[in-house]
Amino acid sequence: KSSKKADFVAMHRNMYDTDVTVFSPEGRLLQVEYAMESTKQGSACVGLRSENYVVIGALKRSVNEMSSHQKKLMEIDGHMGIAIAGLTADARSIAKWMRNECLNHKYVYGSAMPSKRLCEELADKHQRTTQTYVRRPYGVGLLVAAYDEATGPHLFQTCPSGNLYEFYATAIGARSQSAKTYLEKHFEGFPSTEKDDLIVHALKALSGCVTGDGELNKDNASIAIVGKDHKFQLIEGENVAVYLDKLEVDGGAAEGGGDGDAMEE
Amino acid sequence: MAQLPMWTSEGPALVKTMEVESESVSNAAMQAPRWSPYDFNGGTTIAIAGEDFCVVAGDTRLSTGYSILSRNVSKLLKLSDQTVLASAGCLADITQLHQRLQAHMQFYRQRHGGIMGTTSMAQLLSNTLYGRRFFPCYAFNVLGGLDAEGKGAVYSYDAIGSFERVPYSASGSGQSLMIPLLDNLVQFKTRTDPKPVLAATDVVSLVKDAFITAGERDIYTGDQIEIAVITSEGVAVEVFALKAD
Repeated sequence: KSSKKADFVAMHRNMYDTDVTVFSPEGRLLQVEYAMESTKQGSACVGLRSENYVVIGALKRSVNEMSSHQKKLMEIDGHMGIAIAGLTADARSIAKWMRNECLNHKYVYGSAMPSKRLCEELADKHQRTTQTYVRRPYGVGLLVAAYDEATGPHLFQTCPSGNLYEFYATAIGARSQSAKTYLEKHFEGFPSTEKDDLIVHALKALSGCVTGDGELNKDNASIAIVGKDHKFQLIEGENVAVYLDKLEVDGGAAEGGGDGDAMEE
Repeated sequence: MAQLPMWTSEGPALVKTMEVESESVSNAAMQAPRWSPYDFNGGTTIAIAGEDFCVVAGDTRLSTGYSILSRNVSKLLKLSDQTVLASAGCLADITQLHQRLQAHMQFYRQRHGGIMGTTSMAQLLSNTLYGRRFFPCYAFNVLGGLDAEGKGAVYSYDAIGSFERVPYSASGSGQSLMIPLLDNLVQFKTRTDPKPVLAATDVVSLVKDAFITAGERDIYTGDQIEIAVITSEGVAVEVFALKAD
């Protein structure tokens, strides 16, 4: 009887997945789940924090050798930045809104926008799109890195579903499981980790997310850091090459490696 | 018979209105407003463009009426490493204008991935001021910086955004005491002897002299001067003490 129901659902999936306002018989919003797939298709982003800093990193994809690498890290305010995975256009629209909120808050209250409050409003903004007939969910997942004077470093993840999570360390996007495994192994040591070592950890986590025979280099790796007395700073190109060299010295790729390792045996 | 204050860049000037025979009560009331949204907080600002530098300066005295409110309030706003704005007039309007411009600077930097240049800033300031064409911002501005070619640039404004690039400018309560001095010593107007090329240090001395000059006769100018020197290496600010009388 249960398999009949499963068959029924599988057969009629397309009856419940056209509109975001329609539940499936299992109580799922299929459109929202499809939107979350978009995040999983984007290239990997990682985030991790120590006592005084938050580091976010991303693997920048390029369409082919002739094209530029897609920017994945964006500054929101002096104390906040985001890493994006999924539909870049949706992410830019969200970033514009976040920047505006931060500027407005600074103008009205004379202080930096508290990150948790902004992320909660951001999550609500996502939720609204899942309950309106004429709109669609945002097809992008964000990692929000922020340092608040009052509460310290924060790393949040937002989803198309409207859920908000806070992490000590996490990764999203394609092949992010490899990065997550690396972070799970090392995160307990992060609070006391120095700034530069934190960046190297982020790169090590990212290196496991590269496709098969690719490698992390100064063109496709990007890092950003924000923290105590340290405004949001993007580290790319020649500046990130310095840290990539440290990676090689330490012996490189993430332990619990990527797809390549699993295939070797 | 009523006297209306006309809010000019040098302070309120009492202007006698014509006597009008009026049967209507409301018309008579309009001739003598009891409250004005503006207040003149005094001070003078100046900017001089050099070959590859720019000097922007303002005094630090804040006044109202015949009283001093503070001897240490800055009129200068550093917009970037190559642009400084100096404003005199009503401090409330100036503060709000400065905060709006700073928000704009950040927005521009985030969107365009680079710092807004002096010429763009000049246009933005004009548009911002004109946005309040019908309830003007009582701020008389002088913008100084380096243009895209690295040459000194000074822009002078009125309250509603009319602006022009000039070799030097002064604005505020002491402007009419300084401008003639600058006409002579910077521009060498109507002089037949050769005009020297002024270095940054020469201009800074000139600025100090200009403020000492204005401070002598203008009650609203005095205490200290903040002098910002803008070069390709950035903005260096010096504070120079004046008579505190």
